[in-house]
Amino acid sequence: MPSESMNIRASTLAGWPMTKSLSGPTTYEVLRDHGVDRRTFLKFATGITATMGLEATFVPQVVHALESKPRIPVLWMEGLSCTCCTESFIRSSHPLVGDVILNMLSLDYHPTIQVAAGFQAEEIVDKLIHDKPGQYVLAVEGNAPLADGGVYCLEGGRTFEDRLREAASKARFVVAWGNCASAGCVQAAAPNPTQATPIGKMISDKPVINVSGCPPIPIVMTGILTYILTFDRLPELDRLGRPKMFYQHRIHDKCYRRAFFDAGQYVQSWDDEGARLGHCLYKMGCRGPTTYNYCSTFKWNDGVSWPVGSGHGCLGCSEPGFWDDGPFFQRLANIPQINIDSWPETVGKVVAGAAAIGAGAHAVSAIAKNAVKPTEKVPVESSSGVKGEE
Amino acid sequence: MSTRVVVDPVTRIEGHLRIEAMLDDRGVIRDAMSSGTMWRGIEVILQGRDPRDAWAFCERICGVCTTIHALCSVRAVENALGIDIPPAASSIRNIMYLAQQVQDHLTHFYQLQALDWVDVVSALKADPAATSALAQKVSPGWYPNDTGYFKDVAVTLKRFVDSGQLGIFANAYWGHPAYKLPPEANLMAVAHYLEALKVQKEIVKIHAVFGGKNPHPNYLVGGMPCSINMNGDNAIGMEQLNLVGQIIRTHRNMVEKMYYPDVMAVASFYPEWTKLGGGLGNYLCFGEVPAHGNINDLKSLRMPRGAILGKDLSRVLDVDPTDPTQVLEAVDHSWYEYPAGTTTLNPWDGVSKPRYTGPKPPFKNLDEKKPYSFVKGPRWKGNAMEVGPLARMLVGYASGRSEYKDVVGEALGALKLGPEALFSTLGRTAARVLETRLCAAWLEEEFNGLLAHVKAGQTATANTTKWNPNTWPAEAKGFGFVEAPRGALGHWIRIKDGKIANYQAVVPTTWNGSPRDEKGQLGAFESSLLGTPMANPKLPLEILRTIHSFDPCLACATH
Amino acid sequence: MAIETRPFTTEDFARNPDDYYRAGYVWQVPVRVTHWVTALSITALFLTGLYIANPVFSPEGEAWKNFTMGWMRKIHFAAGFIFAVSWLTRAYWFFAGNNYARSGFPMFWRAGWWRDLWHQLWEYLKLKRGPIHLGHNALGGLSYTLGVVVLGAFQILTGLALFSQDAPTGPMNRLFGWLLPFLGGPFRVTSYHLLAAWFVFTFVILHVYIVIYDSTQYRNGLISGMITGRKFYQRGDKVQDTWLG
Ligand code: HEM
Ligand code: HEM
Ligand code: NFV
Ligand code: SF4
Ligand code: SF4
Ligand code: F3S
Ligand SMILES: [Mg+2]
Repeated sequence: MPSESMNIRASTLAGWPMTKSLSGPTTYEVLRDHGVDRRTFLKFATGITATMGLEATFVPQVVHALESKPRIPVLWMEGLSCTCCTESFIRSSHPLVGDVILNMLSLDYHPTIQVAAGFQAEEIVDKLIHDKPGQYVLAVEGNAPLADGGVYCLEGGRTFEDRLREAASKARFVVAWGNCASAGCVQAAAPNPTQATPIGKMISDKPVINVSGCPPIPIVMTGILTYILTFDRLPELDRLGRPKMFYQHRIHDKCYRRAFFDAGQYVQSWDDEGARLGHCLYKMGCRGPTTYNYCSTFKWNDGVSWPVGSGHGCLGCSEPGFWDDGPFFQRLANIPQINIDSWPETVGKVVAGAAAIGAGAHAVSAIAKNAVKPTEKVPVESSSGVKGEE
Repeated sequence: MSTRVVVDPVTRIEGHLRIEAMLDDRGVIRDAMSSGTMWRGIEVILQGRDPRDAWAFCERICGVCTTIHALCSVRAVENALGIDIPPAASSIRNIMYLAQQVQDHLTHFYQLQALDWVDVVSALKADPAATSALAQKVSPGWYPNDTGYFKDVAVTLKRFVDSGQLGIFANAYWGHPAYKLPPEANLMAVAHYLEALKVQKEIVKIHAVFGGKNPHPNYLVGGMPCSINMNGDNAIGMEQLNLVGQIIRTHRNMVEKMYYPDVMAVASFYPEWTKLGGGLGNYLCFGEVPAHGNINDLKSLRMPRGAILGKDLSRVLDVDPTDPTQVLEAVDHSWYEYPAGTTTLNPWDGVSKPRYTGPKPPFKNLDEKKPYSFVKGPRWKGNAMEVGPLARMLVGYASGRSEYKDVVGEALGALKLGPEALFSTLGRTAARVLETRLCAAWLEEEFNGLLAHVKAGQTATANTTKWNPNTWPAEAKGFGFVEAPRGALGHWIRIKDGKIANYQAVVPTTWNGSPRDEKGQLGAFESSLLGTPMANPKLPLEILRTIHSFDPCLACATH
Repeated sequence: MAIETRPFTTEDFARNPDDYYRAGYVWQVPVRVTHWVTALSITALFLTGLYIANPVFSPEGEAWKNFTMGWMRKIHFAAGFIFAVSWLTRAYWFFAGNNYARSGFPMFWRAGWWRDLWHQLWEYLKLKRGPIHLGHNALGGLSYTLGVVVLGAFQILTGLALFSQDAPTGPMNRLFGWLLPFLGGPFRVTSYHLLAAWFVFTFVILHVYIVIYDSTQYRNGLISGMITGRKFYQRGDKVQDTWLG
């Protein structure tokens, strides 16, 4: 066995100290060395400000942050997930994901794209936790299964739950990516066999920001990270812990098919005349009226399209529990625990129908028995209990 | 057996994979275990739901091969209910499928695999001018390739390294003796790493056009939800089709002029890896890319169905996944429980009931004699099989398909290798790029096919005659398949009274990442590691090279 | 025969044993006004609500020329606010009005209330006429409490919460928006709102039927009473519900 190579320890390779203090170059310095002039830099900063959904008055603050702050260390962990939050993240164009990884963030740990594996990878996490407590952003994709002692997601022989709690204990902020981390997503759909649990339900000692969606739109993801980098705080959150700047409006509020909704013109079945004319997808189960996300505002994949734009209703993928609100193509929910098709309608009609039948039967028997004889004088039964009006 | 190497987490893959390799005292791997350490229970969650919703759940099995499970699911349901889809919908699905192949393979090579072969530190020593010369030699028609471009990349890289914040490149295996590329090739590859990052997000715009978004575009049982209207502005029209056409053309160019030359260049520096990592030698394909709405017209498939056993390229065996005796899943080494008295089950009768019997975490090692993985053990006619681009190239090649013969022959010729070189880690990597070349070409053909349908007025995208469940039989069963980027995928569904009565997926990485079976047959990952010498058991670069050549996806494998 | 409105006395009876009706002033103006405002608004809410839930008819022509769903929603919201105001007014009158205004309250802690409940149920089922209540009988009162007070409050709260979504930064959102996540998200709330709408409709069916039946069987002027405020009773009836205390 070759002996010198035995001694190679990755972290001690010349010129490659694994971690230095947080004194690296700033985004501006990196961009400058990248051949970017100041005008272009200012444009970049303005673009990022818009990305964050902020007004132009914030540009100086963003410029200042990008000029003076070193890249923020990010520890990206993956629990039970499908990794499409990562996939969505790498689709980012504003800013380009290459710039995000090289110039804005220090993506110190990200199992899907990092080079080191095994204990070399684990070492990075340990060092971050011990060397930079309170300085790194913990970004979580997926969630932790709590059933059976957490064995449904293991990494490095430990449960994900265990690793997550440890990493979160020293994090500055916790970002919960996607519906998985913020609300449980598909693995938490009934009967949630692994007891998959959203991150916010496990971490209570520090703020968790829920960047919901399945997956979230890339610009929302980079926008949130830029915000944190710029202001060193979390943006304002809604009642579900989602950043208001991206999750304040319903899909329906900014949908380009809204005119058809108001007009009462709907697609009645797939690929019918209405579908070809772009009528509203309400009757095809569109969840736009009850879904808070950025899709109808910003669209997907550089504005190419978005679910409703391509003829399918919104599934409601940024809402907790949307998997159990199905069937997706139906206007009204089945609640799986009851599991009657379109149950509010069905249950409602059955109950109202039963009442009508009951009343009808009562009326029929009253008439048949001739029980009610309005013309006859009513016999007086007793004289007791007569009380005056107050 | 002297050393036991544990690689956990295996990174630059999807999901949670653990490899344990047992080395002899000369540092050669003699036994190996592959363990999938995650399980979500999607098959359990699907029970009792509406079959027309299943695609959305299945799609979330994986976001890396997004689209694939949705496609497989609608095919399974359509197969069960006897639904044929309109020709335009079939073309659209094929276009989306092929776009996924191109995107997935490209991203896999650059973002997930390249850094096993490319030393980023060494790139710092490269001369930009020499790199430019190299790039022009390797691929004359690919731009940018000037000195200034490579200088920019070098400066960015240097600045990045000097910052001390190495991000995703931290704590890696730089300087390992197994890295063989000269600095200029390394710098070129780093530049293309960044190019690929930009490119992959463009290809998937095709999914956005037809499915509304990527990851996780939308599908429909009976066709596609995107209507076509060439006279309107609120459905798929000329503007959208032009965009798709343009993306297809630019990306075919990129595959031919960047991806393919890069793989060939890297391969030429690592001849020893055409002899390592072969593994099982058994290959399985379900077939893919139907000519029209009926996926079960096997003759029309561009990728043929078939199996090869024992590296015997002279015989392609018939495969019928709907024959309940051919595909069987065992759980003797997996953390699941089967009904008493059953050792294997056909997926139509499959059961996914977890039972973890591994050591209580935290633990140091797993035990190969006991169950050790959440990946089940699928077998074809009792054989452990490898699936994926290599399996497809071999089955296509051995079936005598000319497109396959051409691309395989061209690559082997350029590298001066015989077909036996394909049974290896590099063979797998090369097969992936060769398949991408085919897919990129087919993508143009399928797109032209869609245009032809549109011109002929065949713009229907959905067949809704059997949309209503009261048109369904009380009981039905179906099989859907897709040649996913990582290999043969099957979904087996049973429908009863309009609801899903059973749903089972046997996924490419379930085949490749399967644990050993009762008979002691290793899975494809495990067997491919045997015989590989490790320079340094502490630095598992060799293990990563071979495992990455399969492009593992554990969210898929365990689902 | 002229109808007298003062209560019976022993002298009255002695004077004329055949004396048939006396009318008592029962429903004060606010009860009657809110009753009919409620009746009309619930009708409008249910009909427009059904369209919102399942828009069965669609206009032809350009979208900008039509506003069918738009109007349905506007009417629904207007009726919703009217109903809410009416509900609140009636709730105020529960405290400010006469004893009859309070008679519908289910006094389940009183044995007399339970007795009256079963008694009334049996009378209805046996198609028998019992003594007349001037205010609510226990069964009627209970059904109003459940069908209008409770369900109405639920509809108003969920309706306002859904409505508050139109202006995410507005005061309505601050007041009622929290209900949405509390009840499992806006989609679930929509479903519950719709389910409850059917229960309200169920109440209306039973109510209207029982009003007609009761009015015919007991000959107590029930229907006109909601317009004039006066209900009829006869010697021997319990003119005031004993369990009311
Ligand atoms: C022809 C139609 C109706 C008539 C004649 C009528 C009559 C009456 C009468 C007589 C009462 C008092 C019941 C009692 O003392 O036992 C009453 C109460 C009530 N009715 Fe109606 N009703 C009618 C329609 C409706 C409709 C359509 C609604 C609602 C949708 C409604 C809602 C109520 C409510 C809420 C009360 C309780 C009154 C209170 O305590 O404030 N009614 N109605
Ligand atoms: C008895 C009273 C009410 C009934 C029977 C009723 C009925 C309904 C029904 C059936 C729907 C359709 C639900 C669906 O989307 O499937 C609906 C929607 C709605 N209702 Fe009501 N409702 C009542 C009171 C109210 C009130 C008081 C408000 C407050 C303003 C209100 C506001 C709304 C809103 C905002 C919607 C959703 C409209 C949309 O999605 O565009 N409702 N209602
Ligand atoms: N294994 C696998 Fe997949 C693929 N390709 C799918 O079926 O990656 Ni997530
Ligand atoms: S939230 Fe959706 S997109 Fe993200 S990992 Fe979960 S399933 Fe995938
Ligand atoms: S398509 Fe959906 S989001 Fe758009 S207007 Fe219709 S219901 Fe609203
Ligand atoms: S399904 Fe999700 S992607 Fe947007 S349109 Fe709906 S929130
Ligand atoms: Mg399975």
